Amino acid sequence: MTDRNSNWRNLALALLGLALITVAQPMQAQTVTPTASAAKEEQLLSTMKQIDGRISIPDQKASVLMQPAGQEWRKVHNTTMFWVGAVSILGMMLALTLFYTIRGRIMIDSGPSDRTILRFNGFERFVHWLTASCFIVLALSGLNVSFGKYLLLPLLGADSFSALSQLAKYAHNFLAFPFIIGLVFMFLVWVKDNIPEGGDLDWLKAGGGLMGKGHHPPAKKFNAGQKIIFWVVIGGGTVLSVTGLMLLFPFTGTVIADMQLGQTVHGILSGLIIAVMMAHIYIGSVGMEGAIDAMNTGEVDLNWAREHHSLWVEEVEAQEREADHKAKSVAAE
Amino acid sequence: MLIKRKSGEATRTRLQAMANGLSSGVLDRRSFLTQSGLALGGVAAIGSIQLGAVRQAQAGPVNRAAPVEIRKNICTHCSVGCSVTAEVQNGVWIGQEPSWDSPINRGTHCAKGASVRELVHGDRRIKYPMKLVNGEWQRLSWETAISEISGKMTEIRDKSGADSVFMLGSAKMSNEGAYLFRKFGAFWGTNSIDHQARICHSTTVAGVANTWGYGAQTNSYNDIRNAKTIIIMGGNPAEAHPVSLQHVLSGKEINRANLFVIDPRFTRTAAHATEFVRIRPGTDIPIIWGMLHHIFANGWEDKDFIAKRVYGMDEVRKEVAKWTPEEVERVTGVPGEQLKRVAQTFATQKPSTLIWCMGATQKTVGTANVRAYCTLLLATGNVGSQGTGANIFRGHCNVQGATDMGLDVTNLPLYYGLVEGAWKHWSRVWEVEYDYLQSRFDEVPAKGGRPARTRKQNMETSGIPSTRWFDAATLPSEDVDQRDNVKAMFIMGHGGNTVTRMPEMSKGIERLELLVVCDPHPTTFAIHGERKNGTYLLPICTQFETSGSRTASNRSIQWGEKVVEPIFESKDDFEVIYRFAQKLGFADKMFKNIKVENNHPVPEDILREINRGGWSTGYTGQSPERLKTHMANQKDFDLVTLRAKDGPAKGDYYGLPWPCWGTPEVKHPGTHILYNTNLNVRDGGGAFRPRFGVEYQGKTLLAEGSYSLGSELTDGYPEFTFGIFKRLGWDADLTESELATINKIGGNNVDAVSWAIDLSGGIQRVCLKHGVSPFGNGKARAIAWNLPDPVPVHREPIYSPRPDLVAKYPTRPDGRELRMPNRGGSVQKAAVDTGVAKKFPIVLTSGRLVEYEGGGEETRSNKWLAELQQDMFVEINTNDAAERGIREGQWVWVKGPESDSKAKVKALVTDRVGRGVAFMPFHFGGWFQGVDQRAKYPKGTDPIVLGEAVNGVTTYGYDPVTGMQETKVTLCQIEAA
Amino acid sequence: MARMKFLCDADRCIECNACVTACKNEHEVPWGINRRRVVTINDGKPGERSVSMACMHCTDAPCQAVCPVDCFLTTADGVVLHSKDLCIGCGYCFYACPFGAPQYPKTGNFGSRGKMDKCTYCAGGPEADNSPEEYAKYGANRLAQGKLPICAEMCSTKALLAGDSEMIATIYKERVLKRGYGSGAWGWKVAYRETIAV
Repeated sequence: MTDRNSNWRNLALALLGLALITVAQPMQAQTVTPTASAAKEEQLLSTMKQIDGRISIPDQKASVLMQPAGQEWRKVHNTTMFWVGAVSILGMMLALTLFYTIRGRIMIDSGPSDRTILRFNGFERFVHWLTASCFIVLALSGLNVSFGKYLLLPLLGADSFSALSQLAKYAHNFLAFPFIIGLVFMFLVWVKDNIPEGGDLDWLKAGGGLMGKGHHPPAKKFNAGQKIIFWVVIGGGTVLSVTGLMLLFPFTGTVIADMQLGQTVHGILSGLIIAVMMAHIYIGSVGMEGAIDAMNTGEVDLNWAREHHSLWVEEVEAQEREADHKAKSVAAE
Repeated sequence: MLIKRKSGEATRTRLQAMANGLSSGVLDRRSFLTQSGLALGGVAAIGSIQLGAVRQAQAGPVNRAAPVEIRKNICTHCSVGCSVTAEVQNGVWIGQEPSWDSPINRGTHCAKGASVRELVHGDRRIKYPMKLVNGEWQRLSWETAISEISGKMTEIRDKSGADSVFMLGSAKMSNEGAYLFRKFGAFWGTNSIDHQARICHSTTVAGVANTWGYGAQTNSYNDIRNAKTIIIMGGNPAEAHPVSLQHVLSGKEINRANLFVIDPRFTRTAAHATEFVRIRPGTDIPIIWGMLHHIFANGWEDKDFIAKRVYGMDEVRKEVAKWTPEEVERVTGVPGEQLKRVAQTFATQKPSTLIWCMGATQKTVGTANVRAYCTLLLATGNVGSQGTGANIFRGHCNVQGATDMGLDVTNLPLYYGLVEGAWKHWSRVWEVEYDYLQSRFDEVPAKGGRPARTRKQNMETSGIPSTRWFDAATLPSEDVDQRDNVKAMFIMGHGGNTVTRMPEMSKGIERLELLVVCDPHPTTFAIHGERKNGTYLLPICTQFETSGSRTASNRSIQWGEKVVEPIFESKDDFEVIYRFAQKLGFADKMFKNIKVENNHPVPEDILREINRGGWSTGYTGQSPERLKTHMANQKDFDLVTLRAKDGPAKGDYYGLPWPCWGTPEVKHPGTHILYNTNLNVRDGGGAFRPRFGVEYQGKTLLAEGSYSLGSELTDGYPEFTFGIFKRLGWDADLTESELATINKIGGNNVDAVSWAIDLSGGIQRVCLKHGVSPFGNGKARAIAWNLPDPVPVHREPIYSPRPDLVAKYPTRPDGRELRMPNRGGSVQKAAVDTGVAKKFPIVLTSGRLVEYEGGGEETRSNKWLAELQQDMFVEINTNDAAERGIREGQWVWVKGPESDSKAKVKALVTDRVGRGVAFMPFHFGGWFQGVDQRAKYPKGTDPIVLGEAVNGVTTYGYDPVTGMQETKVTLCQIEAA
Repeated sequence: MARMKFLCDADRCIECNACVTACKNEHEVPWGINRRRVVTINDGKPGERSVSMACMHCTDAPCQAVCPVDCFLTTADGVVLHSKDLCIGCGYCFYACPFGAPQYPKTGNFGSRGKMDKCTYCAGGPEADNSPEEYAKYGANRLAQGKLPICAEMCSTKALLAGDSEMIATIYKERVLKRGYGSGAWGWKVAYRETIAV
């Protein structure tokens, strides 16, 4: 029986009333026994999810007398969300550690060349780091909200932890906006290179060539793995943004149940995305020689590029040749 | 994890904890108020909370080193009379604790009572005297204000006569204040001195007094605990008198009592009824006669009671016979079977009590309604014993007392009337020449075809009721039955938005040469109409800033002690009245027997003067000392009987409910239940009062075979005079000094000296000795031949939603009452002829909200209360709203059938009101006809919440007996705004 | 040790709002924050009941369980208190609370909600009993003075009961037996996982 529902019900009743009125009878008498017909809590709770009524103060959310759903939210929050987050993040850490132990750092097979090639221009890198830095702070401050009291509180003590958490909350609230802007740019800049293609399946079948040395399935500017990351970031980021905004602006077009759902989605999804992003960060830094350069200087080693993005390099070289050719022919004329 | 040092077993008292001292520095009240951040207005404060703010406690930290005193006063908001226990430190009211010992509220409060502390911290109070000069408010000194106002009053008096100054007192005054103001009116020379009782229970007082003697609740709130059947008809005590519901619901639970609520509206009270009966507004008499129809038809009436104690019931039977169940249903909408069930229960499952409020009284048939109610009680024998009675819940905290004190246009204090004997009685009490008083009144020239009046005749002529003051200012002088129109209003504690027909009132207020508003807050009077000059605002303190007694609805009188000194420059009623009397030149005479200290009359001394003159109503035994003893020993009084079981007041009823016969030394315990023959008069017993002679049309008006317990006279008897004493030989019981006083009063007609004017109290003392009631032992009158409708007859409201019924049940024809014309008959006829009911198809009724009181300025300025009701609204039925496309919470126009009146309010779509009925609360003001008038208030004194007054759209209609206005039933139309 | 609880007897409650203003007056609670409120169910219809609601001081309180900074504490009396020094205003307690008890100085605005405020059962906060600091943040500490919450003490019809769980349950049970009806101990099942069987 939410606000909206009761509005609808009122409207329905009103319409029904209209339909029933045939004679303008100033009032109709009825036997009304208020004490005997009093509303009973048990009855109400068994038939509806929350009990609400009328209240004179303007704060209409106060008209919800009871919402036992709060208890369910608490359960989801303290068990499902907790464990999904913990397992996915710890699981990913474990997986990456294992991977590193077994596979070690993925080196450039043919060794570094003395030539580089421009992979990301300045704007692309800016967009990446804008989003990434926001994401890291959002993730850490978010994790603090979920796990801080078990991990940090005993270390820092109540006051310091609380001060930290307060800062973290402000950071989380305010960085949400640059993060969202970053998401939008990221989408606009890279969407054309991230449309899934047939080749992506081959790349996936080959395991991206990550498991063994010397074998690198061909890939364009973004391989299938990176495309997956892209869509996880865009899709997941959008959901996180929407649910996050719901929580930032409580009761703005939402009722308590919406916010509870929003928080649950936000929490669980963040855990999963953080895990995915850990893999992304790993492979983009310690996990692979030369990968970091793409987002550092934007210039990557040509050999690295040939191994991991052979089709893209061909594409770029073809373009360059064409450009050279054009230039030469212009000069010849 | 945090560690909480303590748990609930701590037993230190707050006093000790505070005495232990946790901070230093002494705060005076002013700096406390500054520190408390009260400069932030409530509304403004909402937006001013900072990012990451902690809730701001606005008072505190309290200096805990200073001692805390406990002071007891009475809540100033309704007639229940809840004690308020205040904690005071350094002259600042810092806290409020439950008053556990009070047998009336037993610690509890309603929203208003729990937030009264805010009244004396109120930053929206009037802080200093002000006057309106060319539309701007200017500050004045008290001295200048009093002298300017007095000068103007004298000028108007010289030009237009004393009656041209209309005086409006207050039901929120103490008894002493109300008495003093009535006395002020007498010394000024006018009977046009009124107060809120006019618009609340004037019809009750008239109806009840005309039936059995006194105009008051017969039993008490506490006594309702004894009832087996309770009918609440035309009242919503859950909102208007919340603490009374404690007693009602306890009775309902303990006795498994039947609780019927008969009302047009499914109120918060109705929600707790065992059965709710919805009626069409304005059909109370058909309901009562319909019930009596079943009662008489089935022989459920109390034949013995009727035979012994009721006069004229046969006349009632004739009228009742017309009200067959079919006719009742046609008129009221209530089916016969349901009414039969209610009637049978009420008549047979006794004791039964009938509770009513404004629903009965605020109608053109108000007095008749009340008389019909009384008749039902009489027919079923439900008066004068435990658990029965007319439990009339009065409105303001001292509306009973102010009525008793004669703030009424037809009375001197204590119901002595305006006849020569009454004036002479009071001139004896006041020790002032009767001729002097007479000289103060106007001579009225012959006009409008009416004969002239001498000063004496004018002195004995009722004044203009508060409902008509603006008509008295605007109608042609010929229509106003006094020397000239009303030219000035002197208002002490009365709202302006509580009287109907505000568009007409605008014209009246603009015609006034002088408007004086003495109040803690600027009432609607201060801002209504287009006045530019001649309005004065004088800051009066609340009853918490002074002391005095107040009479609760059950006639218990409670002494309230001053909690804090008057804040800002405000003064109490006593001082202001005294200073005006001084300036007007009659203070010496008026305060001859009242001690005045430092321009401040001593309230205890005023009460002693009341005691010396209040014989007729038994206001004589309640000395300030006895009342204070009661307040100090509240714990000794029984919850149900209200009698002290122990202690210094042992045997007394709480608050010495009047009549408390004889002098204080006689130690009469007061009268808990009026007309109760089951007790000796010495223990608060009594009988019906024969006020209208000993016989009428050959039939006795004295009781037959009924008398109070232990009475030496075992049959009916008339009121006692010295002459009757002599015949009974009881004159021998009088002491010498008593005899001397009686002889002095009687002069050459000593035999005529009665119990009511014997200033020695000897007659009453001897009456008690013989166990008889001083006022006699008569029959209650089912037929009141001195009233317009001796047996109540149904009359449709002026604006009836059923024009088809008007022909059969028309209102009374035009006439003149209380110096004014009453055009009700022609207004009703015109309404029918022009088809008003078609254009305005919704019945409009009005009533109280729990958060606010009266005109509402005080409570709407209280931030704790204002937060709870921020918008004026109209309750509109779900179906009516759907037909008009009106949604919950949207703005709508409520349009009235007179003067193109309209009010912009929010819609509250609810089934509380039936189809075709709308309800608006009457506490709002400050908007008029859709326009916000906040800017017109003096800076910083505007109430937090403003809104349209319901009386912006209410209409013509006056009870022929009392001039009561018709607020409970009129017509309107509602449209989306 | 007593287990303090609230019980609103809806068959007595008349929505007079005394509990609301008594609370505001005692603790100087500013506009917009309603530690206690009265909700009317089935308004204007037969069956209408009003219930006064505030923090119920739950057993195994959900607010405490979800608080990311662990700012809540349950006293030996079962009173659920919180520290405003630690609270970061995240709003989680509001999502979890079945009774809408937590209040924030700023609602619906971007950024911070401010420090959460709620009914303290008139038991102040973690500061020293009846210290000015405690009053400024949480209001009066009546429990430490041997008094019960002011809302219940001042309830016009004695509908709102506060005190030891067993005592108030007994009072309610006796009432229901005496009068023959009862609409239930509102909120008990959700707050305390028990109800008062009559």
